[in-house]
Amino acid sequence: MLLVILRRLRDLVLVLFVVGTTLFFLLRSIPGDPAQVLLGTKASPEQLARLRADLGLTGPKYEQYFHWLGNVVTGDFGTSIHYQEPVLRVIGDHIAPTLTLAIASTAISFLLTVLIVSWAAVAPHNWVARLVNRVTQFGLALPEFWLALLAVYVFALYLGWFPTSGYTPLYSDPVTAVPQLVLPVAVLVVGQTAFFTITMEEGVLGELSQPYLRTARAKGLTERRIAILHVLPNAMLPVMTTVGLNFASLIGGVVVIESIFVIPGLGTTLLDAVYARDFPLIQGVVMFIAFLFVAVNLLVDLAYSLVNPKVRVA
Amino acid sequence: MTAAVVTKAAASPPRRWSSFARRNRTLVVTGALILAIIVLVMVLPLLLTDPNATEPSRRLLGPSMDHPMGTDKFGRDLFSRWASAGRVSIGMTALITICAVSLGTFIGLVAGYFVRVGSVIMRIVDAWMAFPSIILAIVFAVVIGPGMLSELLAVTIIFTPYTARIIRSRTLTLAARTYVKAARVSGMGPWKTLAVHVLPNTLPLAVVQCILLSAGAMLIDGTLSFLGLGISPPTATWGNMVADGRTYLQEHPTMVLFPGLSIAIFVFLLNLAGGSLRAFVDPRARLLLDQRRRRGKVRA
Repeated sequence: MLLVILRRLRDLVLVLFVVGTTLFFLLRSIPGDPAQVLLGTKASPEQLARLRADLGLTGPKYEQYFHWLGNVVTGDFGTSIHYQEPVLRVIGDHIAPTLTLAIASTAISFLLTVLIVSWAAVAPHNWVARLVNRVTQFGLALPEFWLALLAVYVFALYLGWFPTSGYTPLYSDPVTAVPQLVLPVAVLVVGQTAFFTITMEEGVLGELSQPYLRTARAKGLTERRIAILHVLPNAMLPVMTTVGLNFASLIGGVVVIESIFVIPGLGTTLLDAVYARDFPLIQGVVMFIAFLFVAVNLLVDLAYSLVNPKVRVA
Repeated sequence: MTAAVVTKAAASPPRRWSSFARRNRTLVVTGALILAIIVLVMVLPLLLTDPNATEPSRRLLGPSMDHPMGTDKFGRDLFSRWASAGRVSIGMTALITICAVSLGTFIGLVAGYFVRVGSVIMRIVDAWMAFPSIILAIVFAVVIGPGMLSELLAVTIIFTPYTARIIRSRTLTLAARTYVKAARVSGMGPWKTLAVHVLPNTLPLAVVQCILLSAGAMLIDGTLSFLGLGISPPTATWGNMVADGRTYLQEHPTMVLFPGLSIAIFVFLLNLAGGSLRAFVDPRARLLLDQRRRRGKVRA
């Protein structure tokens, strides 16, 4: 078990190394002088030289690279040009909203999925069960940016139930924060629930052809008990891996949702950094997202091996 | 109406079309609708006014007989913009999908046939599959400037691994077949064997992948144009039309409604068509479909 964790941690470092290196050379292959772009045409040569030195743009490429790598290994991701603060601090300042959205929407989607699929599994001829497949397919097809705008129109502008945008930290003022979170989280929940439901429903259908069900029926269990005791727990396992795999598209969704609801999270920070050509910040945020992705999948796999002894050796 | 019948219909010489259509109603209906939409957006721009023609006296009108979807802030007719945007969005989706599936098929074939190189390739492929596509597109938009090229590169890179994995596992089974070994023994080179004997047998899988991936490609294309990282105005896409309409959400919600709904419907149809096509090439999908039919009496 310890060995597995160590191996995965090594992979994590490798992924970060590859992502960081690729990004370093990609961002530095952009034609033109970033210092010139940032300061404009009126900047004096001294100012340009100072900014270039600040950005680590002096000397040959490989020298810049090792300089940068050395800094990263010691935890120094450089200074954001736009915020004039260390990149890590900027990331730290903006991570809470992103994590709130991601965790809340994933947890709610997971619960909803279990409810929907259980209902469909226990009562397969119920109208819910019949609709599940088609409705989830439609849920998967809805573009998040569009669904978010429709939600704003209906629930914020027309009905006036929730604010159109904004973000307040949950711990500072929950009364303002929760209504602001409802719409963004709800939009993220739709797509995720559809995706999880499809995975879990396929799991249920796959389990139904397993021979152990014959044993269960033979010893006199009712269909309902079989569904609850045998089929659902087994079908829930693949959904856990899906949560990890879905994280990449969740982050994509969060970027869009943050920009629509004006939430100061990592997505907005990244988009702003792109518009402001803040290269150190772009590099830092992208590497951080890669880190999050690998870490989430590591956690999911560990949790998976806790509930499913079959994969523990792997 | 079991899965076995479906297989037989696909394998034996073509039976009557009507019986195929009855057995695969979802496939036929969604396929027809997809074709209809494609023909519509290809033909309509020829009949309608220029999507970029401005008419300052008719700015921001709601839907009417003259302008079925209304007009935008420059007085451009939104219906003709919708049609030409459909052309661009569907074209872009097709381009991305074809690039990703061709590249993925190539990588899959090589990785499946040359096993030692293959395992290295697959490790790399798995790692790059992990990356959020929107983030990669953002990086490319920074490096080569937002537009068609950066979008094409980013989404192709993200989508290639899915096809590569599927084609690789198929190639692994095919490479172990006797006829492939016989071809090698009789002196056929590895590349020619791949092209003549392995590739044709992976093509059905690749075609199904095309349909399934194009649904995702259309969603990402929409999102990128919406964020201003894809094809940018004045060329209309369904995504940037939603972005344009965002400012007038309160007064003219239809400006956001129509283009987004078009994406949703098109993606929905592609998902359904891809799902039922998958049953022809993937035994697991066939089994699931069969189970679903038996339980919920859902039509295939």
